[in-house]
Amino acid sequence: MDSSTSVALEPLLSFLAFSLSQIESGFYRIPGSAVVARYVKSSHQNDPGRTILELILVIFAIRTLLQSRTRTDRSGKHFIRFSEKEIDELVDEWVPEPLVQPLSEWEQKDLNSVPVIAGPNGPKPKLLATGKIVTNLASFNFAGLAGNEKVKERALETLQKYGLGSCGPPGFYGTIDVHLDLERDIAEFLGTEASILYSQGFSTISSVIPAFCKRGDIIVADRSVNFAIQKGILISRSTVRWFDHNDLKSLEDTLISVEKDRKKRKGPLTRRFIITEGIFERDGEMVDLPKLVELKLKYKYRLIMDESISFGTMGRTGRGLTELYNVPASQIDMLVGSVANGLCSAGGFCAGSAIVVDHQRINGTSFVFSASMPALLATSGSEAITLLRNNPSVLLNLQDNIRAIRAVLEKTEGITLLGHRASPIIHFCLRTQQQSLSVTQSTYDHEAEERILQDIVDDSVANGVLLTRAKHLRGQEMIESRPTIRIAASAALTRKEVEKAAGVVKASVTRILSKRR
Amino acid sequence: MPSPIALNSPSPSLSIFKKKELLSQLTSMPTAASYLSAVQQADTRIRSHDNSSVTSTPSLSRSPSITDSSEDNTLSEDDENDCLAYSLTPSTSEQVFTTVHTEFGHCANETYRCVSKHDYTKPFEEQTIEDPPYYIFLATHISLFILSLLGHMRDFFGKRFAKPYFAHLMPQNGYAPLNTNFDSFYTRRLRGRMTDCLCQPVTGVPGRTIVILDRYSTDNNYTQICTGGKTRALNISSYNYLGFSQGRGGCSDAVKESIRRCGVSTFGTRLESGSSELHVSAEALVARFVGMEDALICSMGFATNSTFIPALAGKGSLIISDELNHASIRIGARQSGAHVRVFKHNDMSSLESLLREVISQGQPKTHRPWKKVLVIVEGLYSMEGTVVNLPKIVELKQIYKFHLYIDEAHSIGALGPHGRGVTDYFNIPPSSIDVLMGTFTKSFGAAGGYIAGTKTLVDGLRLRGHSGPYAEAIAPPVLAQIVASMASIMGVVSAPQPTNSTFSLSPVGSIITPRDSVKEPLGMVPANNLPTWMNLPRALADGSEARMRIRRLAFNSRYLHAGLKKLGFIIYGHSFSPIVPLLIFNPGKLPVFVRMMRAYTPPIVVVVVTYPATSFETARARFCPSAAHTKEDIDTVLRACDEVGGILDLKHGSGERWGIDMVCDRAVELVHSV
Repeated sequence: MDSSTSVALEPLLSFLAFSLSQIESGFYRIPGSAVVARYVKSSHQNDPGRTILELILVIFAIRTLLQSRTRTDRSGKHFIRFSEKEIDELVDEWVPEPLVQPLSEWEQKDLNSVPVIAGPNGPKPKLLATGKIVTNLASFNFAGLAGNEKVKERALETLQKYGLGSCGPPGFYGTIDVHLDLERDIAEFLGTEASILYSQGFSTISSVIPAFCKRGDIIVADRSVNFAIQKGILISRSTVRWFDHNDLKSLEDTLISVEKDRKKRKGPLTRRFIITEGIFERDGEMVDLPKLVELKLKYKYRLIMDESISFGTMGRTGRGLTELYNVPASQIDMLVGSVANGLCSAGGFCAGSAIVVDHQRINGTSFVFSASMPALLATSGSEAITLLRNNPSVLLNLQDNIRAIRAVLEKTEGITLLGHRASPIIHFCLRTQQQSLSVTQSTYDHEAEERILQDIVDDSVANGVLLTRAKHLRGQEMIESRPTIRIAASAALTRKEVEKAAGVVKASVTRILSKRR
Repeated sequence: MPSPIALNSPSPSLSIFKKKELLSQLTSMPTAASYLSAVQQADTRIRSHDNSSVTSTPSLSRSPSITDSSEDNTLSEDDENDCLAYSLTPSTSEQVFTTVHTEFGHCANETYRCVSKHDYTKPFEEQTIEDPPYYIFLATHISLFILSLLGHMRDFFGKRFAKPYFAHLMPQNGYAPLNTNFDSFYTRRLRGRMTDCLCQPVTGVPGRTIVILDRYSTDNNYTQICTGGKTRALNISSYNYLGFSQGRGGCSDAVKESIRRCGVSTFGTRLESGSSELHVSAEALVARFVGMEDALICSMGFATNSTFIPALAGKGSLIISDELNHASIRIGARQSGAHVRVFKHNDMSSLESLLREVISQGQPKTHRPWKKVLVIVEGLYSMEGTVVNLPKIVELKQIYKFHLYIDEAHSIGALGPHGRGVTDYFNIPPSSIDVLMGTFTKSFGAAGGYIAGTKTLVDGLRLRGHSGPYAEAIAPPVLAQIVASMASIMGVVSAPQPTNSTFSLSPVGSIITPRDSVKEPLGMVPANNLPTWMNLPRALADGSEARMRIRRLAFNSRYLHAGLKKLGFIIYGHSFSPIVPLLIFNPGKLPVFVRMMRAYTPPIVVVVVTYPATSFETARARFCPSAAHTKEDIDTVLRACDEVGGILDLKHGSGERWGIDMVCDRAVELVHSV
């Protein structure tokens, strides 16, 4: 693409130039214009220099108008002129690569091992391949809302009244009252002024970031943020500074150095953002929110926090880290969460002040250009909030189960448990000499480790516990993380079931690792 | 050319806000018989209104049809909107309608049908950009100039005298403003004047009609307050091409069953643990529908482009994109890291010269040959209504060996005699295209999108696209809607059928020869490919209803397109396109157009678009006719446009002009003559 400034200025320039020439020719059609023209002519006689200047202006305007954006490369010094015949030959000789490389043997195995569930998913789904019922430690059914009759009932009611699809983006009669209701429910639940609903969880934050962060703005982000945030930062074209994973000391150092830089360059005041996650999707670490908010206020940054995992799971009623740490949600400028994970429906949201939310209604690309979410998924989300509000005990169950799983797995040989002890997602990786999560050495053999982990997953599925590796796009993530298995705890299972399932996982780990030795 | 007709005074009845549609309909009835039946209809309606319980005792004339849903009755409708709720031509006893008239209009007249198919004997219908007369052009620019001037003046004085209103645009307590003055100028000063016409909240099914929530503003459109009142309006704006947006009917029943059985979510990403049997069977169905080996489904249409294009092209590759491609494609291309070049909208000579240039020049600076060139076009452009010149592109593809990606977001379901999109419309084998992408939001009344291609391609995308490992899987009820609506378009056969006979995936020869005719039924779906619990009613299962929908849509699109042209409007786009843009040009007329159409009897909701979706000078209203509309509905839209367009001076098209009554009476002739 061309430089965006010229692209941004183009409509303005062409508009100005166009209207100038239009006014001029329109002028001659006005009765009496001949008198004025005569005056111009006489002025030309007095001062020909002025006419030349004006002529140059007109020529410039015409040139700007005729200049096509796609032709800019042609005038560059790297352009080589070919005759038509030479071009034909070059075209004939050119052999393009196939669009997609076929899967490698490992990729094929990886794809084949993806579990497919027959019937509904839930705490005890049936697998299509084997027809066996398994205990689910893989799905994001944190609050145990899978198969909830109240949610289903509400969805059925909504279907009757609204049909399924919204048949349009929010701007074109796609804003249904149930969307507004869910937005209000989320805002009230969290205690923010307003919130905005996106139709896919993944696309939420990668659209929120570029809506606010523009070229020249400063983003200070955690090195280990999830893929959606990385993509959002990439699209934003802002200046990015990274700080060490979940290390607020490193964050503070970065903030200080950014400020120093600015003072040195005497640059103007730009928008500054800290971007991090509540509970990190990659490893289950939890951010120290009160400290983070303190730093953000001290250095006058705006905070964009992704609570995709922590919303709906942490705190007494699932309001997320703000409830857990008793920090007002209004302190977080853009609080992004997932309706799909936290409320067991689909989509995502961004909560914040009314200004922040309204800004996204026009500038959030995946909000503006995408169809709004189906009505029944929105009401399911609203129903889930009601259920969370009314049954705080659900999340106590969840915490019990997390503790039970960790207790069993901590004692297992050969693996390292990662993350915060209260995190509803529990990652574990193979215990090796390297203890750091991020891997930089090129010699490191990802695939071998992934194969071992996949064997563990397969073995525990065969023994009745559904597990999954945390899947990553290798080569596309900014930092390659250690391959891990990710367990998602659920409130829908009893403590006994969980302990049993964790025991199966432990046995699988021991079995596979001992086989390899 | 300025036309003298354009300055004529509008219709003699100036009181458009109070006109009784019913009366005018009665007086304009062509025959005595239809007059009588309309009177009878009016009688039954009044009787049924006296009977407070419409649902329990449907009146005789409507007995074959199913009863209205309860929320229709809670909406207090006055007489004026009755023509939306009840059909003007009452159904006879042998006509059975299974749809609610407000969701899917009753239309039994078989002459109001048409087949959307490319005629190879005629040259490709090039987009003709008709220019408005000179004074409109001038007025448009002057009004834009005044708008910006006033806006800047308000900003200048506001910042000095009304600081609280501008606080969020100025640095405060050491924070830079979230939004600079310049960036938000358009939003605040131009778009802000017509917020009442945008983002209108609605309720109920976005079918043939839609219920809008009435709003008002006390602070010059800064905020909108809902009054609590609701208005049912004719919906010519939703992307409901085949009318599958229904709260009642076979598809809806299938969705209900899926909610009971599978719940509302699968709680995870496709690669981790969110894949279910329903996903697998829906993907197989989509592949069969579009005529490709395999397909994958993504939970959001926008994300289908933005998260899978990066997996197709990367560093060292080139993406060539149409200048009017959708934002999702642009974002996907930007994320991919590939070089991006743009060609003029649907201009094949521009594409060819660009291809010659880039292939001969190779990569910038290094001049290495490109790894691959991916051309991305849309099947049907959402703002222009143009259909891609596919025969020519496929021809170019043979010569220049690029890969072709077609975004069929709008064309799938809506174009072609079998509703299979542009390939069906042009009768070109789908296998000659590398990637077919589309969405379910529009024709199928669902949500999400798909990508179809060879098995290698789709498997590669499943693993390497961003959505696979990171984005939530599509919800089961949405899948059920996709499967039910798609299967009904294909038709269900009880006996299993050999798969390879339905679609020839043979490599394409050097010359594109359109298939003469489709002999075997195009891709019927064996019953055992559908979930066992999904029992579609007969009309859906045998494909007859969907065939009717496809032909109704083609008729409605063509009628609206031709009708508006005959009335003298400047219309863009292809004559079969279900997107009909009516050019308004002057930004000041946009909100007035919306408000007048909304105040018409019956109310009509329309979409108006201007910058950033189009250029500043070509502001337009955009109609999306649907199979759910009856011929009378299109008549209503035409009448409203005729009236409003007369007042707003929008009729600047060239060509022969007809009066509104002539257009309505000779609709069939008009549709078949274009």
